[in-house]
Amino acid sequence: MNYETVIGIEIHCELKTKSKMFSSSPVSYGQAPNTSTNEIDLGHPGTLPSLNKNAVKQALKACIALNLEIDTLIRFDRKNYYYSDLPKGFQISQQFYPIGQAGFVDIETELGKKRIRINRLHMEEDTAKQYHVEDETWIDFNRAGIPLVEIVSEADIRSATEAQRYVEKLRTLLVYLEVTDGKMEEGSLRCDINISLRPEGTLPYGVKTEIKNLNSIANIEKAVKAEILRQSALLDSGQVVQQATRRYDDKLETTVLMRQKEGTVDYKYFPEPNIPPIRISNEWISEIKQTLPELPDVRYQRYLDLGLNAYDSQQLILNKDLSDFFDTVAKQTPYTKILANWCLSEVLAQVDQSQLEHKVINPEQFALLINHIGKQTISSKQAKEILPFIIKGEQYDAIVSRMNILQVSDSETLNALVLEVLNENPQSIIDYHAGKDKALGFLMGQIMKKSKGQANPVLSNQLVLEELNKRKA
Amino acid sequence: MPYSPDYFKNLAKQIRFNLSDEEALDIANEFEVLLDQMRLLEKIDTDQVKEMVYPFEDETSFMREDEVDEVLSLDQVLLNAPNSRNGFFVTKKVVIS
Amino acid sequence: MTILDIIHTTTVDERVNQAITKAKANQSQLNAMVNFIDPSEQIKQLNNVSKDAKLYGLPIVLKDLVNMKGTLTTGSSKILENYVSPYNATITNKLIQAGAIIIGKSSCDTFGMGGTNMTAATGPVYNPYDLSRMSGGSSGGSAVLVASGVVSMAIGSDTGDSVRKPASFNNIVGVKPTYGRISRYGIIPYASSLDHVGYFTRNVFDAALILEVLAGRDDKDMTSLNSPVPEYSKNLSADLKGKRFGVMSNVLNAIKNPVVLKQFNTLLDQLKAKGAIIVDIKLNEDLMHAMLPTYYIIANAEATANHSNLDGLRFGMQQDGKDVEDIMTHSRTVGFGKLIRKRFVIGSYALFIENQEFLFRKAQKVRRLIVEDITKALSLCDALIAPASNQGALKINDTKTDQLSSEYLIAENYMALANFSGYPSMTLPFAYDEENLPVGINLTCIREAEQMMFNLALGIESCTKLKDQIKEVQS
Repeated sequence: MNYETVIGIEIHCELKTKSKMFSSSPVSYGQAPNTSTNEIDLGHPGTLPSLNKNAVKQALKACIALNLEIDTLIRFDRKNYYYSDLPKGFQISQQFYPIGQAGFVDIETELGKKRIRINRLHMEEDTAKQYHVEDETWIDFNRAGIPLVEIVSEADIRSATEAQRYVEKLRTLLVYLEVTDGKMEEGSLRCDINISLRPEGTLPYGVKTEIKNLNSIANIEKAVKAEILRQSALLDSGQVVQQATRRYDDKLETTVLMRQKEGTVDYKYFPEPNIPPIRISNEWISEIKQTLPELPDVRYQRYLDLGLNAYDSQQLILNKDLSDFFDTVAKQTPYTKILANWCLSEVLAQVDQSQLEHKVINPEQFALLINHIGKQTISSKQAKEILPFIIKGEQYDAIVSRMNILQVSDSETLNALVLEVLNENPQSIIDYHAGKDKALGFLMGQIMKKSKGQANPVLSNQLVLEELNKRKA
Repeated sequence: MPYSPDYFKNLAKQIRFNLSDEEALDIANEFEVLLDQMRLLEKIDTDQVKEMVYPFEDETSFMREDEVDEVLSLDQVLLNAPNSRNGFFVTKKVVIS
Repeated sequence: MTILDIIHTTTVDERVNQAITKAKANQSQLNAMVNFIDPSEQIKQLNNVSKDAKLYGLPIVLKDLVNMKGTLTTGSSKILENYVSPYNATITNKLIQAGAIIIGKSSCDTFGMGGTNMTAATGPVYNPYDLSRMSGGSSGGSAVLVASGVVSMAIGSDTGDSVRKPASFNNIVGVKPTYGRISRYGIIPYASSLDHVGYFTRNVFDAALILEVLAGRDDKDMTSLNSPVPEYSKNLSADLKGKRFGVMSNVLNAIKNPVVLKQFNTLLDQLKAKGAIIVDIKLNEDLMHAMLPTYYIIANAEATANHSNLDGLRFGMQQDGKDVEDIMTHSRTVGFGKLIRKRFVIGSYALFIENQEFLFRKAQKVRRLIVEDITKALSLCDALIAPASNQGALKINDTKTDQLSSEYLIAENYMALANFSGYPSMTLPFAYDEENLPVGINLTCIREAEQMMFNLALGIESCTKLKDQIKEVQS
């Protein structure tokens, strides 16, 4: 039986604000437990919420970029349930009047551009973090109250690839907007995938399962593929799909049951009485629109215009820290293709994401390196030896002088070298004139060997050719 | 009795407390009276009337500037904690993850 | 004798020690205090306060819903019996900055939910005018401490009438200002859209003065008002010429006590003699009957949600259990009394998705109609006036606890009009019933008309001559 996959995705994204959604304690990561929290975050009796203006601004940026209709009257509601990570016994969220509705984002598929509609974007607050230690649960409230936006797509997604592209697109957009740092592995971006199958050509939705706790973009495609397989097998054998929450197991490469879904929960939503409706002005929204950072699509086009190929441009875009680094260095060198190449290969090989984020590589020194490669005053091989020291923080000139990586460029020395090599390899001269191209390469190789890679390749090549031509037999 | 005592016992469990049999019976008995009171509300015509959530409905514009203020010291955070260890609140294992 | 007189005619030590001594002496009979607070540190801190501070060295009491860092704030409950506040309520800060010395926390109905003060975890609070009778609630402890002369000001809270009713039963002034006039940050809530911080004094001048200290915008309470705070006490005027008092016939018809009615009519004559105009006000009778269920549904629904934070995990009394859910359930079962549990059941029921339309949201719609009605009434007069109750305080064993009753009781519940609408309202002494028990008079004015309200109250006070009354308790 052929099934059509129907997928809707919910994304929760922590906002990059200094303070929390409803309190002024700091948004922090990696701090000692319960050291970034106050009485409001802990749900102490008598506390009241105070709305963070910047959180609203970040949510607005996301609404603008995702083409959502903005409700300028900000209203909040209580979502009531009991759980050990929910200090107030309710979460302040936006059930009835989300800040953004009816938007969309376009993704690339094999069949071209596809529009994925977005149902809503709303603001809410994060819960505490729990750790299960044997028969105990340990709770850290540093995360409690961190601002979140929840973005809910329509069930427009039809494949594992589309699911991955959608999340990737959203993540990239939100990172470029500086709304979030989008680190799935740290939990600042979380996605829940709702997936069901229906026989091809039919309309009614099948029973859906929810996949949670995906910690990387790569796992999205794998998880969805695995779930499609699992559900198809069930349906093919005449069984039913149970409504449940599942997680993806990397090693088993399947989805695993977390818990059965027991019907719908009644959250007893009602408007938050402690936050009166807030009217935001159209002027503020315009101001935000006008000062949005450069979006990925725009940057992508800019890279194409710079002469980079589509693949390289895309790869750069997907890593904003790398792309930002590229842009900074590109201001100081005309050799953009070499720069792109080096960013995507050597830089990524030698520094980790955290180092990129913290801008450890000095752009001026790196630009110097690229310029020398471009002018061919050093060879690629030499450049690779220099790079680690630039990363360590040394100056280009100091490294080159210390390591004695001086390119030999004076004609006299080179000439002598060329003559030496040609005299030692008379067969190659004959081969060259007999039309064997490899001979030139061989001779150049010998020159590089004798000079320990220090001979200026361009000049040497020139001189060899001149000399070969002189010795036409 | 519009609802059985068990109905209320269940309801209470959902909001995390237990009712004794006696209590549940009391509430079940009194609920008829409660519903009478609700009928007083039904008498009032609220067609086209919007709910009043706040006593004052002026639109506000205030939002807090995104600045960090003092946090509670760890001592103060854990001051009232029934159980804590290594800076964490400690409790028994949560049944559902 | 006003608060300012007290401050100028006694030393700090004198008045603070006197208050504490008296509170302790009266405790066995009134049972008004939950916890005493050692004042020595606060007195030391007076060095940081100007000697001209309005409440310099004045001993006061906070209702035990008000957080004060380092003190027990129990809400008169079992579940928070061991809760030590890690922070100050905004009003606590304001009071300290004004030089007040907080000598302790006063008893109330648990979490402010009740009108008798019989539900406090520490037992009932007794009325100094008759120790076999209740103080009234929920701010009963604060009321009797002011009435018995222990302190000249005590903080309370008013969600349905919880300052104004006990004020009436104890022959003192009880003020509930406009919603948001005083910040609720740090006050253990009952129903957020109905809660007001209020207070008790023994005369109208003090009432005006205290509001200057407590009122003001607080960004930590997003519902707090932005309007500047006038110098109420400096602008007081007892001139009643041309002032219109609206007499609500619905309420007066519900008051059957001839002794009280007679004194009410006498008062009206006195007001007329001073040039005031009496306006007859007829509110919608159906809406008046609907007030109690409207209040009950909204208040209990909001309260249920507000107290979902009390789960025994981060603070408060904890009971053991086999897992987290169990711990929460046991803690809340033991920590909440029967009456609270019942309220939460009702509150939760009203919020179920299938019930909201005819319960919670219906009540909110009826609230709007009630508020429109009272707003219309206040366009015809400067203040609505009526006795605060049909009679004085009830006997302890006579108590009509928290029963859901089919009776309408307009007379006993109409003051909730000021909670639904957020309009300022106050009670002050005016009469005695046939048992010689105090009954107060209630005024309600339009939004932010506190100056008018204090002025009218001052005018009434000059008619009744009832002020600065202390009922000593024989120890």
